[in-house]
This record gives sequence, structure tokens and C-alpha cells, in this order.
Amino acid sequence: MKQSKYVLLFFILIPLFAFTLHKYYVSLTEIEYVEKQKSVQIISSIFIDDLEVDMRKQSNKVFNIDTKQEVDSIDNYFKNYLHQHFQITINDSINKYNYIGKEYEDNIVHFYLEVPNIQHLNSIQIINTSLFQSFENQQNIVKINVKDFNKTFYLTKNNDKGLLNF
Amino acid sequence: MLKKTLSFIVVSLISTMLFAQNSEQQNPVQKGHYNISKFRQLKQELPTPNNQHTASGAPGFEYTQQKVDYKMNIILDDDNQKIFGEETITYHNNSKDNLEYLWVQLDQNMRAPNSKTPDINGSGPGVLYSPSKFTKSFMGKPFQGGFNIESITNMENKPLDYMINQTMMRIDLSEPLASGATYNFKIKWWYNINDYIALQGRSGYEPFPDGNKIYIIAQFFPRLAVYNNVEGWQNMQFFGRSEFALEFGDYEVSITTPKDHILNGTGVLQNPKEVFTKKQFKRYEEAKKSFDKPLVIVTQDEAIEAEKEHATKTKTWKFKAKNVRDFAFASSRKFIWDGMAVDMHGRTVMAYSLYPKEGNPLWGEHSTKVVANTLKVYSEHTIDYPYPQATSVNAKRQGMEYPMICWNYGRPNPDGTYTDRTKYGMIGVVTHEVGHNFFPMIINSDERQWTWMDEGINSFVQILAEKNYDKNFPISRGIPKGITGYMKGDQSRIAPIMSQGDNVFNFGANGYSKPAAGLYMLRQTIMGPKLFDKAFKTYAKRWAFKHPTPADFFRTMEDASAMDLDWFWRGWFYTTGSNDIGIKSVKKYYITDKPTKRAQNMAKRYGITVDQLPPSLYLVSEDSDEFTNDIKNKKPTDFPNLKNYIDKNFSAQEQKTLKTPKYFYELTFEKPGDLVMPIIVEFQYEDGTKERKQYPAQIWRLNDKEVTKVFPSTKAIKKIVIDPDQETADVNLKNNSWPKNTESKFDKFKKQQIKS
Repeated sequence: MKQSKYVLLFFILIPLFAFTLHKYYVSLTEIEYVEKQKSVQIISSIFIDDLEVDMRKQSNKVFNIDTKQEVDSIDNYFKNYLHQHFQITINDSINKYNYIGKEYEDNIVHFYLEVPNIQHLNSIQIINTSLFQSFENQQNIVKINVKDFNKTFYLTKNNDKGLLNF
Repeated sequence: MLKKTLSFIVVSLISTMLFAQNSEQQNPVQKGHYNISKFRQLKQELPTPNNQHTASGAPGFEYTQQKVDYKMNIILDDDNQKIFGEETITYHNNSKDNLEYLWVQLDQNMRAPNSKTPDINGSGPGVLYSPSKFTKSFMGKPFQGGFNIESITNMENKPLDYMINQTMMRIDLSEPLASGATYNFKIKWWYNINDYIALQGRSGYEPFPDGNKIYIIAQFFPRLAVYNNVEGWQNMQFFGRSEFALEFGDYEVSITTPKDHILNGTGVLQNPKEVFTKKQFKRYEEAKKSFDKPLVIVTQDEAIEAEKEHATKTKTWKFKAKNVRDFAFASSRKFIWDGMAVDMHGRTVMAYSLYPKEGNPLWGEHSTKVVANTLKVYSEHTIDYPYPQATSVNAKRQGMEYPMICWNYGRPNPDGTYTDRTKYGMIGVVTHEVGHNFFPMIINSDERQWTWMDEGINSFVQILAEKNYDKNFPISRGIPKGITGYMKGDQSRIAPIMSQGDNVFNFGANGYSKPAAGLYMLRQTIMGPKLFDKAFKTYAKRWAFKHPTPADFFRTMEDASAMDLDWFWRGWFYTTGSNDIGIKSVKKYYITDKPTKRAQNMAKRYGITVDQLPPSLYLVSEDSDEFTNDIKNKKPTDFPNLKNYIDKNFSAQEQKTLKTPKYFYELTFEKPGDLVMPIIVEFQYEDGTKERKQYPAQIWRLNDKEVTKVFPSTKAIKKIVIDPDQETADVNLKNNSWPKNTESKFDKFKKQQIKS
């Protein structure tokens, strides 16, 4: 029964769309190379409720993100999570990025990350595996904007990498 | 004399314009084109109106609609998770057509081992497989879902011919069913109920560790497809996503469950005395008089007691529902039940909730109150809720609607605490699913074809209901600024709203958020609440208990408001375009009575001297070489020719009310975006005050890229912001201010972080 494999996959792929919340599993990461500042600036936006689920799954800990009951030093947990799931490679070498901070907006958390001291940009590669372990149909959209060049990647569980050469 | 000169000037201005246009036609082989104006009428997109769906957007005098009545006996087998049914269907052919066959929907077949649903979805290998998933996936033990049709017979118990094509079944009639005639037939069926936690689905059961289950049963019986004036038979396959189109009719349903179950369904329970204990029955009746707060009908203690039992005896719940388009029910030993009365202009409607102890305290505190609030707010905007009750059932990971009953998620932590996010999520889903009673259960659009007509419209009214329940309710979906992330996305991954739901990339944004944001914008920004609300209510009234199409909605909104919105429907619903309006340049002008070079040139062209120009005022731009400092501080009335005119034509009283603009700003707006939208401009003056001006979208009629306006002002402008409250889903805010805001979102955030 070959079809049955797909029966199951289907059930997971199609979420319950009559849900009232965001219902679609996407995150959005916008990456911009700011030539004047010689820095790569990243704003990564993730649905808070999905992130809570995934972080709980990973660490068996309740975070209560953006609530009165939020755990202390949530930023350290975020840094740790991003470190594991978000990787940026510039000009063929993996780069450390600075965690500038986070900002809550409704049901979304925006992470501000920066890779400073990039004199020339020849290539940029992103791996973003955020939320993949909890949501089968999670899609991490990555938009890269360098000078007038725009490129969008749709990263999924089966294809979690986007590479751009200039 | 004055009049003559003026008309000369007017004529010469017109000829100047013509001249300018001629000079631009340098290429003699310019191609012609069809009407490409974004303001052209929607006639080519909308179906031609007729006497069924009229040009005004109302049902016409030849509009017809079928009616289907069901009598059903259902047995819920809790031990084996099976459901058995026998149904008698009465089909009323109210159409003008003779029907050779009837189409019946078999939604459960989407879960059958041979379902085509999985085949239409591409996917790669999974990352991990649980043992049960692996067995089902690769070892030949798929879930044996889908209908088992035991018999289909006429009233004389003679078998009828039928053919099943996946989720659709054709009943072949021995002779065509004549217009106006009625046909009775019977179907006997059963199926295995799915564990929806493991297998997903919008119905099924949720298992609990002690063996108890909550059943949420829907799409559970063979249901007649819609035969209407625009689609004929609506028999598009059900792939699991695009929901239903159904006919209205009357239902009589008996459901047999274990004796210790608590159950509610579509319609009104006919035998409460038989199924409730004496105490429960008393509380059931008392709740009908409680208008201020919910009363508990089946208590948590009673539910906990029932959970410990496992009755072998059964009882039968009897329901009647009039003029509904479907039937669903929920049943479990675990249910607590509370209810309160809602006054619907003198008629009492019951708001009920059924939930397990795992839902408390959250559910006891909010669910029924949210049901009541939703009924009230939606009724104000549409029609009074016409049914006798509305029930919210707590079901894990669900959010799904049926007439008078819906499944909603939201449970507190095991210790009973819950966060605001859980609370608002639960209130949101209850509002949304109860709201579906109006769209599409009553205003009965076709969700198989048009997702947005119920999901989008419902998500919009949902916002109004949530804000009424809690004015601090965090709204993120369905407002214009929330949809920009989607709209500025990769165009190859966006479909227009006017697409069938199975064929869109991002169902949530496409079917829910974008149409809701569009309606929100229409109400708040483009039409205003007064015009919008009346037109929206007209649509609801016209199409309650009928089958509206998109054209009926578009036409009614215009018909009842005298607003030509074709440009909006075209851009927002029929295209994937986005809005980006910016301010390109701002030039400051002052007044003078000295003819400028432009005026001198004009005089020269028409062979008159500068002195022959009629008494006029002229605008001089600050950066031109004609500008002199002495005019900087002059008021309009400092110029004799204007002063004389005013003195001659206006009384002293009137003169007091005249504005005296000192500055004139030439504002050039650019529109890199595809959509046409109103331009909302906020002027911030040097003295700290603010003023707003909204130019209607029609400002883009003749130039889709750029438009210039002159704005007179008594005060100097310090800053100009376009769409300051982000009402128009502008996807690029970088060009929205003057002077240009060079600080990016990132820089701004970084600066703040460093400061703190």
C-alpha cells in the first residue's frame, strides 16, 4: 500500500485550516547588506506560539514567551536556540553574528542579528532549521537584499539551505 | 471684459496641453491597446447578471434553491470507535430543471485507503517516523477510513443505481426528477472513526489516557451536493481543504450513545428529560432564564463521576433542526455543560459550551460568554441570529464550524494556569467558529469554490466581535498592516484571492487575512463605517439562507453605497499586486502678483503683452531665481488685486471666514506599487500641530505612476508622512516620509538597544 505513506504525510502537511490563529507555518528572515556600515543586518521574525512549542520540545522547559510568566534571561535561551538553528556563511566562512536583541509584536518575535566588518560580499549562505522539528510543513522564508539585488528562498525540512553568489 | 479675457486664458491653457501632448508623440508606430485603466469596470470579470443573480447584487425573481430534508438514526459505538447510520433523504427539486441524477458528498472517503487526496500533494521523505506511523505508512496497515455504503434504496426498499467517484456519489434516477417534484430515498452506512490527534481531520475522536474519548462528529453522513443557478451541480472533489457547499433543509436525528455520555448537536434537543438526570434537567431549564452569566448544567463533579464508568446500556438523544445546511454533534463521558440565555430582540437564544475538566478554569470563565458576545456583534452587522442555540465544544487542536455547533481549541496548563496567549487564542477561535454560523452557515456561500467568501468575511467580522469582548484584544490578523509581509512576497508564490482554495500557495493569508484586511480597509478607510455597514448588512439580509457568489457581494456593496469600488475589487481580489505609495518631492511656493516667467511666456505665445494678462496671482517656488525674500512674509490679502476682488465680492462677515494661506506646497506622490489606493497624507507643522488630508484612489485615474497636488497652508510644514497609521497595506514604508527617513528599522532598533 504505497499510497498510505502519503495519507499520513498529507494529514500532517495540511494543517487544520479552520484555526483562527496564523494557521500557516512560516517564518520570515530579511537579510540586508548595508554597504555604508559594512555590515550584514538580519531581522528574523517567528510566530511566538510556534517557537514556544519548539523550544519546549528541545529543552523540556516552559518559557511562556512574552507573558507575565516569561522565564528569566529569555535572551540567553533565544541566543542558544538561534545558534543551533540559524547559521550564516559569508564568503565561504561561517560567521558569528551579534544578537542585538528581540522585539515582540503581537504574536511575532523579531530577532535583530548583525554580522559586522564585511568589507566585500561575494557569497552568502543561510541555513535556517527553526521550528522544523515540531512542524512538518514549516516554511522559513529568507529574503536577501544586497544593493539592488533581491532573492527569496523558501527553506523547508527537506531543503534547509539557501546559497547566493554575487 | 474680464470674462472674455478669462475664457481666452482657459482656451489657451487647453491648447497648451494639447500642444504638449502632440509633441510627445515622437514614435509614429505606437501600439494601441484595450482599456488598461485600473478604474475600468469589472464587467469582463463578473458574470453577466440575470434574473437569478441580478445586476444589483440581489437574488432575482427567478432565483431558485433546492431543499433537502434528512431523517437519521445514528449509533455511536464507543467500544469500537465506529459510527452507524440510516438516513432517509427527501429531495425537493425547486429548480426549473429536470434532474437525471443526484450527487451526494461522501467526505469521509478522503480518509479511505484509496483516497486521491495524498496523491495530489508532493512531498519528500520525513525526518522521523513513529512506530505506528511507520507501520501505517510502509507496512500495509493504513487506516481503514471512508464510508462503507451498505445500501441505497428507494422507499419501497428497491436498490438504486449509484456510482462512487472518490468523495462524490451519483445516484442514477430511473426517470428524471421533474421540476417541482420531490424524491425520497434511503442510505445505510457505517465507518471507522479516526483518532484525529494521530491522523488529523476536522472530526473524529481525541483519546485520553484513561480510555475515555471526546467524539466530535461531523461530515459524517452522505450529504446532498448543491445544485444551483451558477454551478449546476457543485460536485468538485473534496481534498480536505476547501470546505463545503450544502443545501438547507430540516433535520430529525436520533443518536444512540452509551448511557453515561453527554451530547449536544445541531438543533434543539427534543427529549432532555430522558437524557438528563432530574437535577441536570432542572439546571438546563434554569439556564434559559440566565441572561447575565452562564449556569452549569452538567457539573465538573458529575463529569468526573461519569469518566469512571463504562456503561453498557445506551440512551438515545433526539434532535430537530429547521432550515440548516448540515448536522454535527459532540459526545463524551467527559463533558461539563454550561449555558446562558441571549436576548435577540425579544427572542431567547441559548449560548452553550461543552468541555472536559481539562478545559477548566479557562472554559468555564470564557467560552459561553464569548459565544453570547459573538452572536450579539454578528447579529448587529448581519441579521439577528435565527437559530435557537449556539454551542462551543472544547476539542484539542481544533477550530471547525458546523451549524449551531463548533469545535474549539484552548486548554490551560495541567495546574490550571494559563497565559494571555492561551486565553486570547481560545477567545479568538471561539469567536471565529461561532461567527461561521453567519458566514457560511446562514449567508451560504460556496466554500468549495470561494474560500474568502466565508473565511475572509468571517475573519473580518471576528475582529469587531473580539474588540467588543475585550477592547485590548490583540488583533494581528485581518488588519492591513498585518498582510504586507505576505503581499510583498515572491510573486511566483502568490495567487489572487479569486482562486479556488485548493490551488493557492498560502491558504491562511490568501483565504483569511488578505480578504479580511481588504474589508477592514474598505470599512475604516475607503468607505467609512456608515456606508460600509449599511451595504454589508444589505448583503447579509439579501443572501441569508441563500447561495451568494462573489459578484453578488461586490455588486451589493456598490449598489447600497453609491461607491464605485470596481477598482478595489479588481486590485485586491483579482490580482496579486501590492500597494506602495511614496512622497517623491515637496516644493514650497510663495504668492506674488508679479507675472512669473511662465506667465510671460504664455502671454508671448498668444501675442499679448504681459499687461494684457488679467489681474492674477502667481506662485513662485522657493528655489527658483524669481524668488525674492520680500514675498516670503506676504499674506494673500497683501496683494491689491486680490484684496479688491475680495472687498467687492464678500461681505465683512464672509471675509472673516476666508482662509489666508501663506505657503503653497507642490507635493509629488509616486506609486511604485501596482494597486491604486487613497493617499493619506499627514502634515506636521512647525508649531507641532498636525493635519490630515485623504485623496481618493481616483487621484490615480490618469497617471498610474505619479501625481502632483498643490496644498495651501497657513503654517509651514516640517514633516509629511504618507499613511501614518498603516491603513492601506503599504508594503514599503521607506518612501513614506519627507524629509526622507534614512534610518532603517534595524538601525533604529540597534540605537534603542544601545541606549538602554
